[in-house]
Amino acid sequence: MKELAPDSQAITLVILFILGNSSIVGLAGRAGNDIWLAFILAMIMALPIITIHARVRSLIYNQTIGEGLASLYGKWPTRLLALGFGFFAWRLTCFVAKDISEFVQTAALKNTPQVVVVFFFLTLAAWAAKEGIEVLCRFTAIFIKGIFFSLAMILILLLTLVDFKEFLPILYHGFKPVFFGALELADVPFLETIVLFGVFDRFTAKNSPYKILLPGFLIAAFSLMFITNISLAVLGAESYVINYFPVFVAVSKIDLARFLTRLEAFVGIAFSLGAFIKISACLMAASKGLAIAFGFQDYRFLVTPLALAAVPGSQWLIKTIMQLDKNITKVLGPTELIVQAGVPILLWIIAEIRMYFWRKNGKKGGKPTAHRQ
Amino acid sequence: MIALIILGHLVVGVVELSLWPEHRLKEVLVYLFLLTGAATLAVLLTLNPYLPVPTPFNALGNLWNTIWQGGGL
Repeated sequence: MKELAPDSQAITLVILFILGNSSIVGLAGRAGNDIWLAFILAMIMALPIITIHARVRSLIYNQTIGEGLASLYGKWPTRLLALGFGFFAWRLTCFVAKDISEFVQTAALKNTPQVVVVFFFLTLAAWAAKEGIEVLCRFTAIFIKGIFFSLAMILILLLTLVDFKEFLPILYHGFKPVFFGALELADVPFLETIVLFGVFDRFTAKNSPYKILLPGFLIAAFSLMFITNISLAVLGAESYVINYFPVFVAVSKIDLARFLTRLEAFVGIAFSLGAFIKISACLMAASKGLAIAFGFQDYRFLVTPLALAAVPGSQWLIKTIMQLDKNITKVLGPTELIVQAGVPILLWIIAEIRMYFWRKNGKKGGKPTAHRQ
Repeated sequence: MIALIILGHLVVGVVELSLWPEHRLKEVLVYLFLLTGAATLAVLLTLNPYLPVPTPFNALGNLWNTIWQGGGL
């Protein structure tokens, strides 16, 4: 089944996917008060990989992901790639589900078992994943306005508590913490966008992948940079690092004439919505990956067992909130380095070589339709 | 608890399969395999909440730490 989402709606999915569970956790804490530099460096690091991702998708824009990859890399390499990719997406589903369950338990439902929270979130996400990419994009296009409006209002209110001296002195601890902070950010959440490689089935035009991924990434990255830096300027670098959910804590400090308080609930809702979108997209990518690996046309029948497996999986892969924090703030690990950076670069190189020889030999058979003149 | 988990997965499987418009053998087998995997993971985690996680890329991480000591991984 071929599904097509308009570019304007697909951009909103990319934005909410990146903001997702990252909008509330303490990102790049090791960069300290140079966190803004870490963000800029991480964006510079991630942008080429995301451009590569967009380039590979633009080569097969009018084919389904399975057909397109098979025409570029062959049947069996595609199946193997889809299997690994599907597992990575399922693993990310578990991580985000754990993140939301820890947040809900910490902030609101202290005595509720995490499995209950995860189960309800994954049931909703499974429903969204079964409805398909078009419905998910429409949903994000509607809800992004509310999320951005509430975040903007809260951040404007936070400006009254900001102390810009928290950013000084610049590079006091040298460049190393900034570099490692940037690697942290590249891992979570910037290069997690690789999961979106398998979410979009096909695109409206050849340059659509660029029009969707690049603006989506930049809007989300700058929003995240703004949210994180404002939180750090409110809390201070030390307090930012020791809190598991520093944005939530920073917003809880808003007190406008003892009238406008407890606004952290809005951040909680925005976070929950973002996490729901991310879980849905990851679940969809995992199901599509497995469907391609096993040679099925439709992915929907795989969503339920994968969602059910993610319920214990979320409690298995990460067991405590400390492990969760360590996972979010770790420097790009070997698995992430291979899947998020190594594989896209390798795929791009192979695709460019194949396209070069196709153009040179004028070969028609098996050539991606995007390049048939 | 274990019986409840197995029963829950069984009910989900039966209801979903009964709702499918057509039952292709390959699809049913893959579905049942994944559902069994989900149920097994849930049961194992109930029996041992500290079930170890396999880390196939650990060797690469160790190699990286050896090459770049104090690299912060």
